Amino acid sequence: MTAQTTLEPSPPRAASRAKSTVTGLLRTLASSPEAGVVTACVLVFVCIGLAAPNYTHVGNLQVMGRDLAQIGILAIGESVVILTGGIDLSVGGLAGLAGIIAAWLNVHEKLSAPVSIVLTLLICAAVGLWHGTMVTRLGVPPFIITLVTFTISQGLALAITTGTPINDISPLFSRISSFHVGDVPLPAVIFVAIAIVAWFVLERTYIGRQVYAVGGNAEASRLAGIPVARRKTGAYVASAMLAGIVGILIIGRMNVADPSIGSSGFELTAIAAAVIGGVALTGGEGRILGIAAGAILLELITNGLLALRVSPYDQQVVQGGVLGVAVLADRLRARRFGAQRR
Amino acid sequence: MTTPDEPHSRAVSARLWGVQKSYGSVRVLDIPELEIYAGEVTGVVGENGAGKSTLIGTLSGSVYPDSGEIEIGGVPLAVGSTGSAANRGVALVSQEFPLVGQLSVAENMLLGRRPRVSKRRVLVDNRAQRAEATAMLEEVGLSPKQVPVNRQVRTLPVPTRQMLEIAKAWGREPSLLILDEPTSSLGPVEAQMVLGLARTLADRGGAVLFIGHRLDEVRAVSDRVLVLRNGRLVADLQPAQATEERLIREMVGTELGRGGAKATPDQARVLFKAEGLTADSLGPVDLELRAGEILGVAGLMGSGRSRLIHTVAGAQPATGGSMELAGRSYWPRGPADGTAAGIALIPEDRKQQALILFAPIHSNVTVSILRNLSSKGILTPKRERNAAKKITADVKVRMQSIDQPVGSLSGGNQQRVVFGRAFATQPKLLLLDEPTRGVDVGAKAEIYELIDRAAQQGMGVLVASSELEELLWMCHRIVVMNHGLIVDVIDREDASKERIMTAAAGSGPRAPGAQA
Repeated sequence: MTAQTTLEPSPPRAASRAKSTVTGLLRTLASSPEAGVVTACVLVFVCIGLAAPNYTHVGNLQVMGRDLAQIGILAIGESVVILTGGIDLSVGGLAGLAGIIAAWLNVHEKLSAPVSIVLTLLICAAVGLWHGTMVTRLGVPPFIITLVTFTISQGLALAITTGTPINDISPLFSRISSFHVGDVPLPAVIFVAIAIVAWFVLERTYIGRQVYAVGGNAEASRLAGIPVARRKTGAYVASAMLAGIVGILIIGRMNVADPSIGSSGFELTAIAAAVIGGVALTGGEGRILGIAAGAILLELITNGLLALRVSPYDQQVVQGGVLGVAVLADRLRARRFGAQRR
Repeated sequence: MTTPDEPHSRAVSARLWGVQKSYGSVRVLDIPELEIYAGEVTGVVGENGAGKSTLIGTLSGSVYPDSGEIEIGGVPLAVGSTGSAANRGVALVSQEFPLVGQLSVAENMLLGRRPRVSKRRVLVDNRAQRAEATAMLEEVGLSPKQVPVNRQVRTLPVPTRQMLEIAKAWGREPSLLILDEPTSSLGPVEAQMVLGLARTLADRGGAVLFIGHRLDEVRAVSDRVLVLRNGRLVADLQPAQATEERLIREMVGTELGRGGAKATPDQARVLFKAEGLTADSLGPVDLELRAGEILGVAGLMGSGRSRLIHTVAGAQPATGGSMELAGRSYWPRGPADGTAAGIALIPEDRKQQALILFAPIHSNVTVSILRNLSSKGILTPKRERNAAKKITADVKVRMQSIDQPVGSLSGGNQQRVVFGRAFATQPKLLLLDEPTRGVDVGAKAEIYELIDRAAQQGMGVLVASSELEELLWMCHRIVVMNHGLIVDVIDREDASKERIMTAAAGSGPRAPGAQA
């Protein structure tokens, strides 16, 4: 190359390196969106733990683990969709419907619990495929098509059951939810396993990296030869299947399939966990560590409010406030460290 | 600068003194003095980047000049204020139509103001709005039958929208009407209507500034033709002096060097062949490209330059004909097929179509080869980073680390990242669309070297560009496109800006389907 007219400023090297291994590390931490959430988790846990001794008892931790499994798994599925630049509003409704379908197959069709579970997950996968196809082939906005599913699945749950909970489901369901590995509830183990798999797929396979590229700039990815439609569709299928798993965990935990589960607002909690964890709603940015931490933080706070005996009438205000503070802090951090997005 | 012989005894509509504008270190406009007269149509011509848009911008208030004063109708203009310009009676018809697609024709025509005659004070008076819009359309010769005022603007074809834009400007009864390439999106009938309107306004005593891309139109309608080159006014011609040849000579200026590329085409190896290739607004096109050859595609905006590139890449569906790549028949159903067949595309808009700006450099350079870097689908960060280091070193990206966001690099270095990514796929055919857009002069030469190197390694290179100098500098052959067809094929030895412009501006002999 000839003309060296446009040299970038050369990196500040050795001089600063000596003094700043520690500050550099802190800076790296502060400039990554995940670190803040993890720190917040620790702080919240310690503070509430000191204020309310019951909070850290094994029994309560196990309760938190089971709760966490639900919103954590939903948040992971939701995040994968958001990473591709979409949104999935159906996860809560679909989780509710999945529980009903599994129970109905088991109780009314007399299918064994494992068969019911597999069939339910397949149905969920089909729903995800439907979302992906509508979004990628017909250009339906993800918000709309998943809102359609959200509404229909809530309605179907009521229609199938005529509003009455399905009782007498196979004990296997409740065994899944109440089994402990050591002292750790199985649902929490499932959540961790899913998080690890999601991390591996997103960050250690070419498919995952293509998911990030698609969300970062779909047109650039298309022109670079990435199968954009397939990656997006895959994300919706993953999200829907994870919603199915959550639905099955919920009926097991309650030992009854309640048709009102789908309207508990899980999808918004899942989106909140993703955003708190550093996922950009515009797509292409966010890591599993942050998403998991975001879900954990929300659960720590929700449960902590109970432990602190905060009036149920005030709890939602506090939860909303936390979300607001998290977003504000993240914006300030991003402005400080130059990531001008989200 | 040539001045007309006769002394100016005409009323001055607009006057500019010492107006200068620079972007970075590039001076894009420098006009010591210019008067635009009432009762005249003043034509303005110039190449891309000659400063036409900046001139229009300063007059209409959307561009804030670095220095200078502007007077409209004897009253100084508050520079850089579109409101002030509009109050002085300046109306601009731009190439991008600022119309609200979801609103109706009538609502768009009266956007930002109320009907002149309306009984209602607060509520929307639909009837008055429609009546006034209809009247405005009739003024410019559009009947309500052709353009129903209740239609949503986005459902209308582009030429009609251009006419609406003109009617909107016309309705403001401007004292200075600026038309920015108004006929580029119009058919011959509407184009004649617009030229007629320009004449009418001038005859009524208004001033018209007509920026044109077709020289024959500019000559036909103008009382005076200005030529801009590199931001300066280089000629001020009477219609009689403004022959097409003279205009082209003034626009182009001095010849620059050519034959910069060292690669030599392998005459025996036809790498890519298209026969009767057609796509939306393209073709039929016949094309042959040899290994190691750099083939330029010239043409005006909308001539099919980019469309040809995109069709070959598979980014736009081909509708007919056939293509052959390295001896095999090639028919892409999407860009992924193109990539798989050994084609790499470097698109026109680096930020929108090529890069993920907030993502680090290493993810951007490896995005096309993620699959090849993985073994059994698994990609380790180490392998990816090593590949990224090799690629960035290969194209000499100047950066602090491969972890910095690609958006933090200069334009030239961003383009190197895009080139690095394309080279990493080891393509047979490299497709380039405006490869040096938004790259400063020093970095341009280095981009040319990258292109030359690709050709030396035996790639075929198809490069579309609006900068004739760069095509002349590096291409072995240049095809000129006009209305989606190849109208001229020029070997390096015979290439000149004049010849390209003559073919591209469409006033020379049109030979549909010239073969390349």
